[in-house]
Amino acid sequence: MNEQSFNEAYENCRPQLKSYILRMTTSLPETEDILQETYLKAHNNLDSFKGDSTIKTWMFTIASNLARDFLKDKKRWPENAPDIFKEAALSDQAFFGEQMQIRATSPHGNFEMKEHISLCFTCVSKSLPLEQQLVLLLKEVHGFKVKEIAAIIANTEAMVKYYLHVGRTKMEDVFDHRCSLINKKGVCHQCTELNGIFNPKQNAQEELVKIEMARDAEKKDKEALFDLRTKIVTDLDPFNSGASDLQLHHLQHNNEVMKKYLKEK
Amino acid sequence: MKHLLILLIMTSSFALAAQPNGVAKTVKKTFSRETTVAINIKADPAIIWALLTNASDFPRWNSTIVSIGGNIRLGEKIMLKSTLDEKRTFKIKVKEMDIEKRMVWGDGQGNRVFTIINKRGSDGYCTVDMTEKMGGLMFPMYAGMIPPFDESFEHFARDLKNEAEIIQKGQK
Repeated sequence: MNEQSFNEAYENCRPQLKSYILRMTTSLPETEDILQETYLKAHNNLDSFKGDSTIKTWMFTIASNLARDFLKDKKRWPENAPDIFKEAALSDQAFFGEQMQIRATSPHGNFEMKEHISLCFTCVSKSLPLEQQLVLLLKEVHGFKVKEIAAIIANTEAMVKYYLHVGRTKMEDVFDHRCSLINKKGVCHQCTELNGIFNPKQNAQEELVKIEMARDAEKKDKEALFDLRTKIVTDLDPFNSGASDLQLHHLQHNNEVMKKYLKEK
Repeated sequence: MKHLLILLIMTSSFALAAQPNGVAKTVKKTFSRETTVAINIKADPAIIWALLTNASDFPRWNSTIVSIGGNIRLGEKIMLKSTLDEKRTFKIKVKEMDIEKRMVWGDGQGNRVFTIINKRGSDGYCTVDMTEKMGGLMFPMYAGMIPPFDESFEHFARDLKNEAEIIQKGQK
């Protein structure tokens, strides 16, 4: 593969790669660093790429290894991370001021519930053990096949299936218990609460009807609802969406809050 | 005489080996009690091994476990609460681990041995056997206080088969 083909291939998978690294690290500076390092490693080792896999799989392998190295000694987030973030945000006037400023001035500062669902998915997936999160994102969000994921994480297909099953089951249960969009008894209402703050003239119920997962909550089981949730995540580019500036600011805030929380714990 | 002795040894071995049908068997003796269950599972040994060694995930699929603490690693201790006696926490040491083949847990009263026999090359199944043998000179004194394990072993075997086969079918 020549340099031009490589650069074209890199540019094609760059948005997916960047979203993947962001969802793994939840840190904007780390995402930029790992993305750059992925490019350099791939570029410098282009001779070793034999075409046994696609260039996309190869890039994701390099990025996964770098993300793993960065995350291996870091604590995982608790399942109730969204509650911790809510409490921290409520006691942080400056954070809300910044959010309102982004909302008012940025072309990517709209608040949409779908975007918050995607942010929430990222935060909850951080409660899975690292390998489970990695496999879940590769399969459910980035559409890799089990065989390709086995190559990316250098493990067997059997173990990929195991990580995927356990990770998915855990995430389904967390959302089934917590998310009020799919369960009337769910304890978390942050989507609708934030929608009320950022879009006070909107009717939350009318907005919810537009989201298939919320609309079909009573008709579908938790597995099917999880598939609808991952579809929302897959369809959104967290760096280039109507609410990307607002959500990235929110995610960075969450990341800082969790760092502090885990350190104190 | 020599032939008779070999025949006796073979007969006793066959008596202890369980059929892989998920039905538990218990052999009671004065100074020991041994319960065993075996089951055929259509799954990769790696999946079965992962299920058997991931402590934090146990209560999700294993209906015989109330809670389990610690890591299932060689030489480590795990704290296990079983549905057999929910008020009691068993402190068990992981004594042997031969990856994807055999694991032994135990305490002062006895050992529990998990064996995975990979037959996937021939008929597509693994046979998983779980055997617990308790005993000792003092065993007759407390034998009556230990509940039967058969039902619990059968639940375990059924749960393991169910979960491993769901994962094996999995997604492509």
